[in-house]
Amino acid sequence: MVTKNLSRLLWRRYRQRFWALLGISVLAGIAVALLDAETWVRHSPVLFADQINHWVVYQTSKFGSVSVYSYWLVFVAWLSGMLLMMQDLKENFNQFLFASGYKRQRIYWTKLGMALAGLLVIDVVTAVVQYLTYWIKLPQGTSFNLALPGFLTTWVSGLILALVMFAIGWFAALIVGQSGPLVITVCGFTLSLVGMVTFFEGVTLHMTTITVEWLAVGSWLLAAVILLVWGSFLFNRLSLEHNGEYLMFPRLRVPLYLVFVGYMTFIFSVNANDLQPALITFIISAIFGYGWLWRPQLIEKWHQRRGD
Amino acid sequence: MLRVSKLTKKIERRQIIEDVSFDWQPGEIVGLVGRNGVGKTTLFRTMTRQYIADAGQVLIDQHDLGAEPAAQRQLFFVDTQYNFLSNYRLRELPDFFALVYTDFDQSRYTQLLDRFQLNGRDQYRRLSKGMRALVNLILALTSNATYIILDEPFDGLDVIVRENIASMVIDEVADQTKGFLISSHDLNELDGLSDRVLLLKDSRLAHDYNLEDVRAKAKKIQLVFKDKEIPQLLKDHSKLIRVSGRVLVVVFPDFTPELDAQLRALNPVLLEELPLTLEDLFRANLSQDTGYQLLK
Repeated sequence: MVTKNLSRLLWRRYRQRFWALLGISVLAGIAVALLDAETWVRHSPVLFADQINHWVVYQTSKFGSVSVYSYWLVFVAWLSGMLLMMQDLKENFNQFLFASGYKRQRIYWTKLGMALAGLLVIDVVTAVVQYLTYWIKLPQGTSFNLALPGFLTTWVSGLILALVMFAIGWFAALIVGQSGPLVITVCGFTLSLVGMVTFFEGVTLHMTTITVEWLAVGSWLLAAVILLVWGSFLFNRLSLEHNGEYLMFPRLRVPLYLVFVGYMTFIFSVNANDLQPALITFIISAIFGYGWLWRPQLIEKWHQRRGD
Repeated sequence: MLRVSKLTKKIERRQIIEDVSFDWQPGEIVGLVGRNGVGKTTLFRTMTRQYIADAGQVLIDQHDLGAEPAAQRQLFFVDTQYNFLSNYRLRELPDFFALVYTDFDQSRYTQLLDRFQLNGRDQYRRLSKGMRALVNLILALTSNATYIILDEPFDGLDVIVRENIASMVIDEVADQTKGFLISSHDLNELDGLSDRVLLLKDSRLAHDYNLEDVRAKAKKIQLVFKDKEIPQLLKDHSKLIRVSGRVLVVVFPDFTPELDAQLRALNPVLLEELPLTLEDLFRANLSQDTGYQLLK
């Protein structure tokens, strides 16, 4: 009864958001399908290339684009993770939840379960509408050969990528208490992953495509699990007096600073042949990171000096 | 019984509340007073676990809220400054509260909205400050929680709304099943409402007054003497509340028949007992100590 009430409470809170996301997502799915249809080669007898029969992620073929699992859905997951956690903080719903008599762990996992279930429904409905649009747009004499190996691999890979993107937004919104800086932080980190992908492409050069793809899926899944479990640990210790500050957990400031400087230096120097890029990136990220993480105190001191 | 035991909270290395302990029974209206910024709201937020306490605990019927949060459903607190209600219509609010407070009285909620001519279709954020305070109180009463915290419920309200809130609170404690903890920085607001007053000062609970006990001993008297000089008896045993020409208003914190006799022996031109207010009591008991003379 208690768990059911909590689920109902959370659903009452998030249902409008899920409906809105579903609506936008379906429209985007239709748009993606219509754009893909424009690229199709009219004389092709089948819509998908042969790779749909293999256990690899389906890529665009010479016959034209088909999004088996659209990147749009990855973006929706990324956005939802951030929004669901951020809005409860900014709109003070966390205060109500924390005073509601439900255990924090139960709140966290119920909310997470609802978010992931909601996203899965959005993914499935969007994909169904998207595939239907493909079907409607099929030219005369073209078949729709959607084979399980390529379909399942693409979906598993897509869902895990969406999960890790969700986890990044979710975790960041848990530890960052300001909306603008949160968006900048998450966007910056997400874009920086492109640098990491380039690095891993170099490392996995001698592996087969299947191995690399499943290795990536495993790594993303592990990263997502770590972020979500760590998030539950932090949620249990979340104290709302830091609402509105950059970090909801001031103790994370120094570790975050060290990780930021190390990470930035790594991705900008990993493929370099000399030390110069590493040194420059280290200095810039050390100064920027300090200014970014300690800016309330710096701004306060600046105002005090201006006042003097 | 709700017990707050050695509750301590530091924010940004600044001690906001320290070792705060008190008991609170159903049927009591407890006032929490203290100057602006003394930590009244922080105490409430820590009690309701929005802020994690550095030390101490809150127990309801011996259930520690930290270990058994379900007991917290007997404690109601809506933050007046920060709450999630803004985006919702008044008729939607029970959807949330009824799922937390299982005894939430939906029909009474609707009745009270009607009684105070509040439109269920109105969004909470569109309401005036007074109307929001009224809605907060309606939610508190209809939650049927045993312990209800009201944070500055009278702040900025007109007399009519203030009287409505006060009378609803008094009606509610009549059957001894509910208790109220009401914070205020203005003592006049709590006058006639609280049975007991807690004084928060310098992060600590400085005093816990039972007003009946204090009132039983104290007296407020208006006096006029022939001479302009204030008699030593008054200087030794009373606190001067007001001087207007030769009219003195004093409070005797510990008025005895002996003092009465000595006072009458001074042959005052006028000796008249006045109704004792909460503010008089605090002036008399704490004088310079509390800084309450600055409050009015």
